[in-house]
Amino acid sequence: MIEGDERGKRFLHTRLMLFGGLFLAVFLVLIGHLFNLQIIEKLEWEGRAQAVSRRSEPLLAQRGFIWDRNHDVPLAVNIDSFAIDIVPAEFQSENPEELAKKLADKLDMDSNGILEALPQNWKNYWNPIEVASGIPYKAIVEIAESVEEYPGVFWQSKPHRWYNDVGSLSHVLGYVGNITIEELQILYNEGYANTSSLGKSGIEKAFDGILRGKDGQIFRTVDVKGRYLESGREDIIPPENGLDAVLTIDRNIQSLAEKALGPRKGAVVVLRPGTGEILAMVSYPSFNPNLFMKPGPGSFASLSLNSDFPFLNRAINSGYAPASTFKLVMTAALLGEQAFDPNKRILCRGYMTLGNRKFWCHKRSGHGYLNLQEALAESCNIYFGTVGVEHLGIDTISRYARAFGLGSITGIELDGENSGIVPDADWKKSIYHSPWTLGDTLNASIGQGFLLVTPLQMANVVAGIANKGIIYRPYILKEVRRSGTGVVVERTEPEILRTVDLLDERGFDYLQWAMRSVITEGTGKFAIYTKSADVAGKTGTGEIGFDDRWHDWFVAFGPYKAKTPAERIVVVVMVEAADSYDWWAPKATDIIFEGVFGKKGYEDVIKEWQERRVWWSWSTRDLPGSGTPDEAEE
Amino acid sequence: MNTGKGSLILQRLDIGLIVCVVGLMVLGVAFVYSSGVNSESQQMSGEWIKQIIWSVTGLVFMAGAAFIDYRRWQALAIPMYIGYLLVLVLVLFAGNYVKGARSWLGIGSFGIQPSEFGKIIVIIMLAWWFGEQGKGESDLRQSLGAIIIAMVPVGLILLQPDLGTAFVYIPILFTIAFFAGIGWRVLLFPLAVGVLIVSGVLGYAWNEHIADTPLNLFRLFTEMRLFRTVFLSSLGLIVMTAAGWFIFHRRYFLPILYGLGVFSMAFIGIAGAARVLRGYQMMRLVVFLNPQIDPRGAGWHIIQSVTAVGSGGIAGKGFLQGTQSHYRYLPEQSTDFIFSIIAEEIGFLGCLFVFALFAYIIIRALRIAYTSFDKFGSYIAVGVAAMISFHVIENIGMAIGVMPITGIPLFFLSYGGSSLWTALMAMGLLLSIHFRRSYKFA
Repeated sequence: MIEGDERGKRFLHTRLMLFGGLFLAVFLVLIGHLFNLQIIEKLEWEGRAQAVSRRSEPLLAQRGFIWDRNHDVPLAVNIDSFAIDIVPAEFQSENPEELAKKLADKLDMDSNGILEALPQNWKNYWNPIEVASGIPYKAIVEIAESVEEYPGVFWQSKPHRWYNDVGSLSHVLGYVGNITIEELQILYNEGYANTSSLGKSGIEKAFDGILRGKDGQIFRTVDVKGRYLESGREDIIPPENGLDAVLTIDRNIQSLAEKALGPRKGAVVVLRPGTGEILAMVSYPSFNPNLFMKPGPGSFASLSLNSDFPFLNRAINSGYAPASTFKLVMTAALLGEQAFDPNKRILCRGYMTLGNRKFWCHKRSGHGYLNLQEALAESCNIYFGTVGVEHLGIDTISRYARAFGLGSITGIELDGENSGIVPDADWKKSIYHSPWTLGDTLNASIGQGFLLVTPLQMANVVAGIANKGIIYRPYILKEVRRSGTGVVVERTEPEILRTVDLLDERGFDYLQWAMRSVITEGTGKFAIYTKSADVAGKTGTGEIGFDDRWHDWFVAFGPYKAKTPAERIVVVVMVEAADSYDWWAPKATDIIFEGVFGKKGYEDVIKEWQERRVWWSWSTRDLPGSGTPDEAEE
Repeated sequence: MNTGKGSLILQRLDIGLIVCVVGLMVLGVAFVYSSGVNSESQQMSGEWIKQIIWSVTGLVFMAGAAFIDYRRWQALAIPMYIGYLLVLVLVLFAGNYVKGARSWLGIGSFGIQPSEFGKIIVIIMLAWWFGEQGKGESDLRQSLGAIIIAMVPVGLILLQPDLGTAFVYIPILFTIAFFAGIGWRVLLFPLAVGVLIVSGVLGYAWNEHIADTPLNLFRLFTEMRLFRTVFLSSLGLIVMTAAGWFIFHRRYFLPILYGLGVFSMAFIGIAGAARVLRGYQMMRLVVFLNPQIDPRGAGWHIIQSVTAVGSGGIAGKGFLQGTQSHYRYLPEQSTDFIFSIIAEEIGFLGCLFVFALFAYIIIRALRIAYTSFDKFGSYIAVGVAAMISFHVIENIGMAIGVMPITGIPLFFLSYGGSSLWTALMAMGLLLSIHFRRSYKFA
């Protein structure tokens, strides 16, 4: 500094030192902070760096199959299908409308659905959006072949549930759906996640824990856009596949029963009284669970709003007046209490009076003098009304009804079981706040009034008679097997639900014989034609209008002369408010017995019946397509 | 001692400075390369090649600047300055938008950022102003002139708007003024106002965007009625104090006047900033105080950068091994956040090395200022030192989460031709000053 003097020099020096000192001080602060970050807090930041780039995804466990008791053709399987995801930020130069149209054409869907899924800021949206699922392999192959035409389009395997030839089994099998928030709140502790799907009804729901298995997890390294990095580490917790459920259902009997019922609102239960195994359970109308997998909200909504309630399993979810089938319980009560000599006759004039009211028998001309067996065979209302009012009373009637399991659930694995109603004085008081009357007793005696039973409960009543008092818990899960190998993991053991000890063996013999006489000489005479099994049963045609709500019942077991009860089956058919001339319940029962014991299909039975000209009224209706009641109605 | 011409040149060349600069540039190219490598270890970007080209051409510029006698710029200071202002105006109307700011002047695919080169022109202009032109002027007049020289381009750059680049001019102005011997009171006044404004704006932004329970205090700046009351009453106080001074001539009126002046200027400044700054700008300024307030938005850069730095540890993850950067979590990793990738891959020790190189450059600049032949050279050298150190402190501070995000590059390391050339030209000036230093004080 030529022009500077010593003072200027010192001045410059001081200020340079000040500046340099300040600069170095700030540098030291930065270094100190850096030291803190990189050395003292290093582990924390390292963890965060890893966490941010590690993403876990569930590895879906294969849901177990559902088989019928023959374990040869699965009823419910998983189908390989794919979901299409789009990552809008990767569209590159592609116009989203054109791309959506191209994609929609390939997938056979509406391009608006894809465009609507695009967020506002799609150009910077890096998260995948699922725009379609249930896409078959073939369509994916076509897209994969020209993948460069579909920038930002990805697919992933997303197997979905498929029910083979489900028909009337829909209620038993149920269906699978995505977990809802409400369900997750309840099930979170059981290992369900918000991406889980779970059984929503039927077997799928009841045995979800067995079928679902345990999802695994895959941990992968992703970049900021969520793309997987080939170079990144992969950790896998393998999934545990679900176990297979083998049902007690025999799909041949199921199909037979389904066709025997035909397109009539109602239910059929076929069970083995010796064990409680359900061989068939039909409820019409049914639904097609495969429709739920189709895109769009339409199918589920249309089914759930259908006035025929296709989701209702009429065999267990709904109570009906048992009508004359309740006379079986009345007979048991009379025998068990020895309240009235079974050989003593009562005159049926076609009506009776109680107070100032007149009650009619279904045969208005009257049955004449009848003993107990004849009264059951002819289903005489006057006989049972008289003994019910005069000799039993509602307390005894309800005691016997409960002893046979009416008024309480059977404990079958399916949910939503209706317990039905067995009324008595206390019940009426608590519900209607009015006293029990003799008219009520009369109604109950002929299975009307307040009495409500499910078809499955009636099947249990008949099973109790056929088994001489031992009623097994009806069940539907026969075995749990390992998927693939078929090794049996668990087998359901029959379990006695209740023992009816109000009646001795002779009483049951009488009951069985009286039921047989219904077929040989009584009301079932012109309905049951099968020669393959000697059927014993009871009609329940609610022909007498004490109540305008009536249903057409037939409850039966057979063969009557079985060496052991194990050979027997119980068939219960209930048709809701059918046409009176149709009188279908016994005819359906007849077809089922002929089919099961004659080892025939429905068509063979019908053909033979037509050749034998057993019926004069022909109204076998064709079944509509599987599980689509809507189409049938329209 | 036989001192031939060649050895004289060598003796007068600041070899250490050149070594540090080249060392930083080599590191820069390496990490610009690293920033372009994706997760599959493929190079996805040609930036590193361009960076090499700019480094080499920049070295030519540096050599040119070193060989031209820096004193020649004295005569060119005003024309260059006026030319620079014209270019800034041109940029406002014909510039290209990059990241929302119209700060680039481009011909075809080649673009430059005039506000970068302008830093050197303003340094030369200020050095000229304080060194030659302003001789004999009073402190106040010198300061006012210097403020005008610096603030006109700052205003033009703020219009782009490029807050970060504009802000660099302020420490340059202060440093040169400081070395020119401007009095404490004059220097302190804008400094106090500035500190008050910055902390007031940060406080205001904190209050608006982060605080759980906003303080009523800050309504002073937003509600016109309150603002007018405070403004008018402080104006009244100033007038009364000034009147007191003129009437009574008591010395204690002056510090009161000074304080009131600082307060009311800062008050107006904060209120103005509260009106002018947009929500996102404020968020960016304040989010470094708590990045978790907006982890996916304004806080994202900070969180990712700090995570990258912190996970580097003592020796780093190794060159090309950084996960934060190669998985693309780190934004702007070749430009603004180049330090984060360096810290992630070569760790604390590597960072210390970078710090050492920068510290050496700054110390050399200060030494060159000390040994300069004239005041013009001294002022240029301290201006350059101020420019480089501000860039380094702000950029690194931002990368490790202690400074607001302003988006200014890290000289020599960040990808980009304009900033690299600017830094190298500044180095050329230092070399030129050093080359022509007097032996008198050496």
